Amino acid sequence: MEFLVFVFVSHCCSWIDVRYLEVRVCLKDAMMSHVRRTWSLGRNRSGVSCRTGSASIATCSGDAALVLLSRSNDVFQNLALEDWIEANVDLQRRGVLLLWRNRPAVVIGRHQNPWAECHLPAMRGGGVPLARRRSGGGTVFHDLGNLNLTFFSSKTSYDRRRNLKVVTEALRQLRPALDVRATDRFDILLNGHFKISGSAARLSRKSSYHHCTLLHSADHSALANVLRPSCPGIQSNATPSVPSPVANLLDHAPTLQWEELLDALVRQYNAEFSSSSSSITVDPADEAAFPGVAAAAAELRSWDWTFGRTPKFRVETVLQLADERTAARCSARLQVEVKGGVVESCRLDVPADWLPPRLSGELSGVLVGGRFCRHRAAAAVTELTRSESGEARSRLKELGDAVLTAMG
Amino acid sequence: MPILPHHFPLLKSDPRSSVFQIQYFRTTAAYRDEVVTVRTPAFAESVTERDVRWEKAVGDTVSEDEVVCEIETDKTSVQVPSPVAGVIEELLVPDGGKVESGTALFTLRKGAAGAPKAEAPAAAASPPTSATLPPPPSSVGPIPTAMPPVPPVPAHVKMNRMRLRIAQRLKEAQNTCAMLTTFNEVDMSNITEMRKTYKDAFLKKHNIKLGFMSAFVKAAAHALADQPAVNAVIDDTTKEIVYRDYVDISVAVATPKGLVVPVIRSVDGMNFTDIEKAINLLGEKARKNELAVEDMDGGTFTISNGGVFGSMFGTPIINPPQSAILGMHGIFDRPVAVGGKVEIRPMMYVALTYDHRLIDGREAVLFLRKIKSVVEDPRVLLLDM
Repeated sequence: MEFLVFVFVSHCCSWIDVRYLEVRVCLKDAMMSHVRRTWSLGRNRSGVSCRTGSASIATCSGDAALVLLSRSNDVFQNLALEDWIEANVDLQRRGVLLLWRNRPAVVIGRHQNPWAECHLPAMRGGGVPLARRRSGGGTVFHDLGNLNLTFFSSKTSYDRRRNLKVVTEALRQLRPALDVRATDRFDILLNGHFKISGSAARLSRKSSYHHCTLLHSADHSALANVLRPSCPGIQSNATPSVPSPVANLLDHAPTLQWEELLDALVRQYNAEFSSSSSSITVDPADEAAFPGVAAAAAELRSWDWTFGRTPKFRVETVLQLADERTAARCSARLQVEVKGGVVESCRLDVPADWLPPRLSGELSGVLVGGRFCRHRAAAAVTELTRSESGEARSRLKELGDAVLTAMG
Repeated sequence: MPILPHHFPLLKSDPRSSVFQIQYFRTTAAYRDEVVTVRTPAFAESVTERDVRWEKAVGDTVSEDEVVCEIETDKTSVQVPSPVAGVIEELLVPDGGKVESGTALFTLRKGAAGAPKAEAPAAAASPPTSATLPPPPSSVGPIPTAMPPVPPVPAHVKMNRMRLRIAQRLKEAQNTCAMLTTFNEVDMSNITEMRKTYKDAFLKKHNIKLGFMSAFVKAAAHALADQPAVNAVIDDTTKEIVYRDYVDISVAVATPKGLVVPVIRSVDGMNFTDIEKAINLLGEKARKNELAVEDMDGGTFTISNGGVFGSMFGTPIINPPQSAILGMHGIFDRPVAVGGKVEIRPMMYVALTYDHRLIDGREAVLFLRKIKSVVEDPRVLLLDM
């Protein structure tokens, strides 16, 4: 398959010079790819973007680095694209920078506990999806005002400080008055106090990537509602998040446009890594360009990945029960052990005068082996209540509801 | 990185047998069944503590380069692959435990990749035809050429309590109810045509799609009002027949997460649109994982639609504590006799399984025929026929 791409190029002179470039991409053989670019990155450079196939990205020679801009705002597609690049692009001699942003989503680190990190009912209500990324670190709230940068490199060239220097230098050139500094923990602080960027990384068998956020104009009001635990009493050794005060660049530099920021970052990346790559727009939904990316995105969306990968934890909490008909009240204790997102053991201590131990025992029994998920548990509880009647049934339902609330 | 002798596996086809031989060609004098200790890799940047997260467990077979665990350190997740193919013997650090560079992580017994797990010898009781000893259970070394291929071990998975509970209830239902199924077929031409004519306008006005379920749900509600016995249930403990004056219809929905049976309440007062809205709302809740116990509790009658999977014919099983269930199946074009001539019509088989202790054959047949008549000509509802 071959296609021609017409590209407008602006010279450093005042008139516009149109050059026709031939981009011959042989996707079948993945053999040959020549992307000859003759434009210069002067101040008058227009926003150039062209679509190329995977072959050119995977085997393109000539440039010391490659800059990609994702056109998708879907967190799962973008994370899948990161996986794809890491697995398929030869990073030994050349690095890649991927720029992306997502519609509102919560992204937890590889080894974190979603029930402890975010409030699942609030997220469901707000239509905010949850994604677990493959790199370590803590929980972040993404939205369209947050820019994500992923620096791909070989394991030997892995250098987070150098990557963050790209960001701080770019910002310094844009707005010299801003005080931006990278810390030992690979955060970037504004005015020595507000966090505008956090990092996470992944070192796999062949290569590495380091990605970071950059808060341009994110909506912080949604944050507080969503970044709190789903249920009380969680005890786990999963990676915790470290909360910090955050700020948006836009609040301190009100004239800083998104496009301006992107351009400066690309320029600085090229300067740092001695390349002259212009940003190429890519579509992570394009299966032809990125074979296997849809399956990767599907895996990232799956319950097994998002919840099933949670390290073993236990929940110990007290449930307050009230019988609405007689106004009788009591407290019950719930202890659940969850491994791989599945209830391994469940213990309910309910006063015998409130509900026969046989029934509370059956309820805890029916939850074991099922997912620690309100939906699944609701079905299990219904199975039980169907066979009961009268007061036992309504109290069993009440207990069931309380347990479900503890599941987030 | 872990220090190990480098080796090159070669795959050869032995003309004497039909089994591929796997030979190991080593550059050092390491032995085949050697146990190897893999250590925490060193990091260039000195950092805070490192946590281990296991991806594999003791007894798992891993191939060369397959990830065994990940080490989380300083916001970085580092994969630790297996240096060789083999079986994991021991995990030396608990999940979430802290390690440093060089700490021993796990031990691995080298062996051919893809060999069956340690339980396999128990199931592979079929003795090898040759006189050579079968390989010892703990080792998974290459198998001698004379060994016949071992059948795959059936996985024994313990039933979880929910499945046990459902199984128990279903069996109880079968044992107490005198279950019987009556069949009929429904000509879907009129309802298909109605849907085709109105679906766009319906979507525009009500913002949801017009499906077939509403027709069947409404038809069932109409028939249930007509035959109260089908809406009733026998209480075995008190030996009473409980007649219910409300109609709550459970709709069985197979989701990837399992079967859920949400309930549409008080269907007798609803029209097609109300029913479609209710179904839509429940569907949304199911998708968002928000189905509550109240949404699935109760129900006086169940409708199950096997048609979505292409089922043509079948006997549904009653969903206790109810007395009957309607099974819908797939719509297929069939030649049928209409007014003395053969025509091709979209036909659906419907099945009604009922508790014969409570519902007579005649009642069951008339009930099903009423559903048929409503779906075949919804005007029947307007005329209360």
